[in-house]
Amino acid sequence: MATQTSASKQEASNTEAELPPLRRQLIEMVFDPDKAFNLPEAELQQLRLKAAQELFLTRREQIPLLRKRAEDAGIDAIKSFDDLVPLLFAHTVYKSYPKQLLDNGRWEALRQWLQSLSVSDLSNVDLKDVKDIDDWIQRFWDVGHSLLCTSGSSGKVSFLTHTMGDRARKTRHIKYTQAWPFTKPTADRPVFWFGPMKGRNSAVEMGITNEENWSRPGQTYALDKQPLLISEVSQTAAMRTKLANGTATPEEIETFQSNQARKATAATEELRVLIDKLLDMRHQPLFIFGLWAQHMMIRDRAYERGIKDGDFNPATVLFPAGGIKGLNLPADYRELITAFYGNVIQIGTYGMTEMAQLMPRCEAKCYHVPPGLILLLLDATGERLLKPEEAIDGTLTGRVGFLDLLYEGRWGGLITGDKATQDLSAKCACGRAGPVILDTVVRYAQAGEEDHIGCAGTIDAYVRGGLPS
Amino acid sequence: MNAEVLNEPVAVGHIIKGEFVAGGEQVYGPPHARFATPPLKLNDLVWKRSEPGPAFETPLAEIIDVLVEAGRWIASDPDGLVADTLQRSSQTSPLPYPVLSRSFDELPALFDRAELEYQVERELGGPDILDGWRQVPTPPSGRSHRVRAYPPRIVHIIAGNAPLASALTIVWSALSKGVHLLKLPSNDLFTATMLLRALSAVAPGHPTARSFSAAYWRGGDAQVESMLFRPQFFDKLAAWGGESTLRSAKNYIGPGFELVAFDPKTSISMIGIEAFASDESLAQVADQAATDATIFEQQACASSRYQFIEGTIEQVDRYCAMLHEKMAVERQYCTAAGRALPNNLREEIEGLRGIDDYYRVWGDYAGSGVVIRSTEPVEFHPDGRVVNVVAVPSLADAIQYVNLATQTVGVYPSSRKAELRNALACAGVQRIVDIGNAIEVERGLPHDGFFPLHRFMRWVNDEG
Repeated sequence: MATQTSASKQEASNTEAELPPLRRQLIEMVFDPDKAFNLPEAELQQLRLKAAQELFLTRREQIPLLRKRAEDAGIDAIKSFDDLVPLLFAHTVYKSYPKQLLDNGRWEALRQWLQSLSVSDLSNVDLKDVKDIDDWIQRFWDVGHSLLCTSGSSGKVSFLTHTMGDRARKTRHIKYTQAWPFTKPTADRPVFWFGPMKGRNSAVEMGITNEENWSRPGQTYALDKQPLLISEVSQTAAMRTKLANGTATPEEIETFQSNQARKATAATEELRVLIDKLLDMRHQPLFIFGLWAQHMMIRDRAYERGIKDGDFNPATVLFPAGGIKGLNLPADYRELITAFYGNVIQIGTYGMTEMAQLMPRCEAKCYHVPPGLILLLLDATGERLLKPEEAIDGTLTGRVGFLDLLYEGRWGGLITGDKATQDLSAKCACGRAGPVILDTVVRYAQAGEEDHIGCAGTIDAYVRGGLPS
Repeated sequence: MNAEVLNEPVAVGHIIKGEFVAGGEQVYGPPHARFATPPLKLNDLVWKRSEPGPAFETPLAEIIDVLVEAGRWIASDPDGLVADTLQRSSQTSPLPYPVLSRSFDELPALFDRAELEYQVERELGGPDILDGWRQVPTPPSGRSHRVRAYPPRIVHIIAGNAPLASALTIVWSALSKGVHLLKLPSNDLFTATMLLRALSAVAPGHPTARSFSAAYWRGGDAQVESMLFRPQFFDKLAAWGGESTLRSAKNYIGPGFELVAFDPKTSISMIGIEAFASDESLAQVADQAATDATIFEQQACASSRYQFIEGTIEQVDRYCAMLHEKMAVERQYCTAAGRALPNNLREEIEGLRGIDDYYRVWGDYAGSGVVIRSTEPVEFHPDGRVVNVVAVPSLADAIQYVNLATQTVGVYPSSRKAELRNALACAGVQRIVDIGNAIEVERGLPHDGFFPLHRFMRWVNDEG
């Protein structure tokens, strides 16, 4: 049970150490995506299993939680992909710190919590006089830990450690795969990023990655007037707590609400300006990222200005994304948006913040799995791997789990909340090798319970209306 | 062909002014739980305000006789209707069959004469104020006044998480003598209808039976609710929950149409260091706390979800292990096995496993129970037999986690209630009980923070 010394761990996190040969081989296959996404499954799976075994033996010694999971499950080697299932972390692990650590500014304790999920030695982070959570995050970056944050709908922030090497490899992976099989990024065009570009949020990281891959220097246009601060997310959560426990004063609520309203107004104005800028430049080849709802707003504004469907440069790359839950969009929004942009290159990927090696979508609208990603389709509860013999009409539907072999900063094994269908055919409709994931991914939701009425409830019913959802 | 048979919608009947109307053509529900009701005729669902309701002047003693008789009828089930309703309810109820079945067994007790009379006595000071105009003691002014608890007109949004909710509503409503429209919940489409049929069975055409209608419409359906929720037809909306209905109801609440909210609530336990006096006391407290936690498989407002306990981590862990064991016991209001935990809760709990500095987790997701120990409450809502045991230096430290959504607090030992009850009341709590008694609702006492029968009535003065 030899463990790495602190010094050697630090080296791993702060230098661009080479990955072990097998993982490196798998991850770098995407340098030639036409080949990488057309390899026979059987051959790849053998290599992946071996790589997973190597990675597990290393990470088990580095990540306390992984060691504990392995011990609890009685797993000391990855002999088959089934052995990986109990070792996948729930996505909620990355927000499992007690909330008070953040609320009360117990920065050292929060660092210790993060350490239990990280490979890199985080003890070199200077936590003296940390002002707030954004400052705490910045201290990690200051000494070379790329610490990412996401804010889920619960308002509680997840923290994910990466090394700078992870970050570079992720950007590289996206460069080679994101627009495959349609085109390749060349950093020579204006980028329109309908999202934040300042802050340490995962959405910002994605924006920076795309800027690096696609943008002519100085020509990225984004919603970057207001940095996306994690402290604001936690302020909202803190306000909710104060409303719940009855300590919020009317003036505090009023100030909070008017701040929210002011920001919303500013954001709307900023969005309008960005849309006009995009429409002004529409005859150039662009890279456009936006959420579906934002694309509908772009379309509305274009019609206002008398711009007709299909008036964009055909070399423009369009990357629409995002969920539509709770938004009032017409049922055929995808078709409307596709018709509006006309003959442009529309790309799509499947992945999530916790995944570095995103899956690109082919001409047949199927997602292809990169060689360095072990995709595990599980039963609905996430307890076991689905077997090929359970397939119905050649497809399996279940919960997405994966082990991303790219990460050096943390364990890349995760169970998601996504429900996906995998087509097990050896050949995708696009002609390349399968299996592939179909373009039907949804979140696992509660079984339909329509109009159930019960007497049990939470404080949310009482603070409702006081806060934006 | 099989699929078609399985998808055949379940027939759900309505009660229109005491008359049963069999289910029919109006189909509702998600594909796996479709049901069909008679077409909704709004005219049939209202009583004209220009006329008194059928039971407005029926003596209370007669109404109590009918209720008592209905209780007997339910107990003996001469037509097999109760057994049939139990079978049908079990198709849509979130409760396991044995719990539902035992709850049905308890329905007759809600029609007990002594309980009904006690409630009228405690809440209204006797039946005379329902039956007529009660002379009030001469006020300092020297004038002579009379007051009547006049029968109301109420729309009820009843809860479906336990059949007792329908029974309570019907009993209270019958005592009020008013006219009552019950909106059925999709998680209990049958109990209220059966209870109302019991009234008609024992007293065909009786004014009390004719004072009730029960129907299903989709909660929040503006076409229905904007027509019905009007002061011209009803005085009050009595709602047990139902997010979509309550949200839409806000549009209609105003002068002449008031909301009586049986608020959606959460309940907790508070356990003093005294629990560790002996192994026996610990086992006893864990057993009582498990009783409170598993009420209706933890789907009720009174079900304990967070348990604050004084003790060292080692002591608290001992309690947690014991609680986990006791949760897997068959009880009046729960099964031993429970039902598999929904995925969203699994995801949350799975994230805490192995984070040893802050949490410890007992149990799997099969349904019999999960206990999570922490030093501050978890952020997700414990449900489906999940208890978060929070170690606190003293019970006073737990008050910060109590808010106006906290309904019942079970306390051990009961001698500690006196030191806690004012602070708990201040924070928003409605009910403080000896641990283990959370489900033992006593009629005649305030319910959800008010006297329900008193609150249902229209209070009218005859002043001299």
